[in-house]
Amino acid sequence: MDAAKRQRLADAGIDVDSALERFMGNEKLLDKFLGKFPADQNYAKLVEAIAAGDNDAALTASHTLKGVCGNLSMTALFELVNGQLAAMRAGQWEKAFAMMDEITPLYERVVAAVSGQ
Amino acid sequence: MDAIIQQMTGSEAETILIVDDDEFNRAILDNIFSDQYAIEEAENGREGLEKLTAEPGRYCAVLLDVIMPEMDGLEMLRHLNAAGLQEHIPVFLITAEATGDTLQEAYRLGVMDVILKPVVPYVVLRRINSVVELFRARKRLGHRVEQQNIELLQRAQKIIELNQGMIEALATAIEFRGGDTGEHVQRIRDITEFLLRNTELGKGMSEEEIQNISIAAIMHDVGKIAISDQILNKPGRLTAEEYEIMKSHTTQGALLLEKIPQLRENGFYHYAYDIALHHHERWDGRGYPDGLKGDEISPWAQIVSLADVYDALSCKRVYKNAFPRETVLTMIREGQCGIFNPKLLECFFQAEETLCHLYDVPEGEH
Repeated sequence: MDAAKRQRLADAGIDVDSALERFMGNEKLLDKFLGKFPADQNYAKLVEAIAAGDNDAALTASHTLKGVCGNLSMTALFELVNGQLAAMRAGQWEKAFAMMDEITPLYERVVAAVSGQ
Repeated sequence: MDAIIQQMTGSEAETILIVDDDEFNRAILDNIFSDQYAIEEAENGREGLEKLTAEPGRYCAVLLDVIMPEMDGLEMLRHLNAAGLQEHIPVFLITAEATGDTLQEAYRLGVMDVILKPVVPYVVLRRINSVVELFRARKRLGHRVEQQNIELLQRAQKIIELNQGMIEALATAIEFRGGDTGEHVQRIRDITEFLLRNTELGKGMSEEEIQNISIAAIMHDVGKIAISDQILNKPGRLTAEEYEIMKSHTTQGALLLEKIPQLRENGFYHYAYDIALHHHERWDGRGYPDGLKGDEISPWAQIVSLADVYDALSCKRVYKNAFPRETVLTMIREGQCGIFNPKLLECFFQAEETLCHLYDVPEGEH
């Protein structure tokens, strides 16, 4: 992984060292899964569920998205989604939904970073 | 369940089963373990359960996610628990939500360990490797203990056989001295055992009792070792004095058995003692040495007494020739060779149809 890419990922709040460690130093595998992130449907499901007012579906999507972010060490995004999930579990749905204002721009930055833009 | 255990005792289980609905999670775990283990993946609890129950012997560990469609991790655990599979295959819960309820329920259902997601490879490797090695060591040890138990049992069996062999050798040696071939004592044992197994005489007796009595029957004439050759092998009639000496083989036999401490500890000792001492008592009280009457004589002493008479009449002895079967039966029925318990005689005549074949084999002089 070249320095520019590494920097780009770091700027999007991705802890590359921690992610590499999780993939046992297997850079190719990490690259492959980072590349799959934009196609992962959990973010879209989350947006959709919130629009439809489906709390259960929103919670499931938020939970799974958090898991994916955790595995790929997208630390900043992970923290945000984790905060959202905690709010949902506490029944603070409005607060949780409002957090999309922070989550969406960061998600888009992450997608851009892993897509090589 | 037995089939499962049997399958598990085969070759070493090498495969880790990863049950997780998320592709990322499966790939990460797969990547961590694929160096050391074969990996099988399942996308939900139901699929995992199917793979596991189809070939339980293949798996050395299960890595299980909690929240999954179709069947979640806790439900799969309940099924594994019901099947008793966790005794043989350690299950690790891999979860992002280690909340109190889930954790408590998972441990109650017997998970080996709970590992937090996102996983840290060296931690998960270490924790799972240690447990897998522990299970393997336990299984190997179990095999060794099982093997040793089998060997101990085989050795115990050999000792029992050796004991019986020694007893038979002693009894046969004594009989040899009396000019017989040793077949007499074997037949007494066979007749006694046959009567106990095939007539009411053995009713309520355990297998061990029957074996003990049968082996004890072999020793009935052991006291003859104390009787001199002239009397023991005298072809003609014994004088009154000689007959008294001859009769003492009963008390001498009991004395001899009493003097062997190793015998006293054996289950058959009190039968052997009683049979040696009382196999010449008579139902009417006119036998020797104690003049016991009726049920004062133990059933086994009565049986051996009758077997002894029957065999003596059916074969050639130093003092007589073998009688034909009909004559033997008439003599026994009419009480010419001792008075027996009517119940015993009834059982004996029933069994005699079979017993008479003991004498079928042409023995030349027969």
